[in-house]
Amino acid sequence: MLGLVAGLAGLGISVYLTVVHYSTIALACPANAVVNCEQVLASSFAVIGGSGVPTSAAGIVWFVVSSALAAATWRARGPRLARAQLAWSAIGLVTVVYLVYVEIVLLGAVCIWCSAAHLMVLVIFLVALARLPEDRVAS
Amino acid sequence: MRRPVSRTPSWVPPVAVVGVLALLVAAFLVIRWYTTPVAPPPLNIDATQLVVSSITSLPASEFDAVGKGSANNLIKAVSGSLLTGSNGRPEVFYFGAEYCPYCAAERWPIIIALSRFGTFSGLKTTSSSSTDIYANTPTFTFHNATYSSQYIDFAAVETTDREQKPLESPTPAQQALVSQYDTSGSIPFVDFGNRYASSGASYLPDVLSGMTWQAIADSLAQPGSAQSKAILGSANLITATVCRLTADQPAAVCSSPSIQAIEKTLG
Repeated sequence: MLGLVAGLAGLGISVYLTVVHYSTIALACPANAVVNCEQVLASSFAVIGGSGVPTSAAGIVWFVVSSALAAATWRARGPRLARAQLAWSAIGLVTVVYLVYVEIVLLGAVCIWCSAAHLMVLVIFLVALARLPEDRVAS
Repeated sequence: MRRPVSRTPSWVPPVAVVGVLALLVAAFLVIRWYTTPVAPPPLNIDATQLVVSSITSLPASEFDAVGKGSANNLIKAVSGSLLTGSNGRPEVFYFGAEYCPYCAAERWPIIIALSRFGTFSGLKTTSSSSTDIYANTPTFTFHNATYSSQYIDFAAVETTDREQKPLESPTPAQQALVSQYDTSGSIPFVDFGNRYASSGASYLPDVLSGMTWQAIADSLAQPGSAQSKAILGSANLITATVCRLTADQPAAVCSSPSIQAIEKTLG
């Protein structure tokens, strides 16, 4: 249940950031020495591979799949589904580590909306980790 | 016979993951701290004069070679009664702060562009805040600087120093301009005679990261350098805008092909 809630919350954040990217809506975000969403989202790292597609669009795809996996494991538990969820969330977590590196080291600014989405990825990963099959036995 | 193996307590893996992530974030912060450039000491008067002379005596061919360069044109047409300065000439009004890294970046092209119409005196070197993004960006300050020109007037307000302590306050009339035309609240804000206005920097300050004033001045002599493309490209945008205010005077500046080409793109 927690994984599904985190997935939907992350999806909402990603949709918001993507809508802001493609529109003239001002991003609700304070700007100071540490937090500066505009600085992060205006950087070349905010789009995928130099295209015009925002990184948050990839976040939408990731959170949709993650939410689907969370919903599936909620309805029917099984080791294969749990491992798939763990593998998918591990991909997300590695990506988050890279994006946090970009924010702190390369840009020197943190986007709080991005950080909220990153936190949802971490929650999803921890939930998936906790759901690893516990039926491993040794003879 | 099967027997359960002794398992790791269930709380250990999540705590270990969070711990590793915390260590990574701490490592990132340390890397950032070590790679952030330190504030270069301000230059003395003679060294400052050398740098200012260098960047304000670039040949016209240098500006033509760069054109718009890598500058992002933030200058928008605005409407209002012509803003004139204390000498009755069209006024360029700058509103910024010494701590602000975007102001630090934008002062370079402002000084270079306006020096094609007149002369600055009393410019001093400084750097943007050491605790803001693009920390310690080398620049100049308009605080206590003066400008004279037979074509335009120039007024500047630096609201705070690099420590964000109050420095100068706008007059009510200047504050009204900021309120009317700088609706985003971004600095630097530049009003070109109430005909054009810009908010923000026309290039990112990281192009100046870790450089000294002299190194930046030297890089402007090379049209292909990243600094030339950013700073001289921005200066050409400002020059073309000012040429609109002065009816393309002086001709030696405003009639150049690159300035004329940019003027056609202005609204």
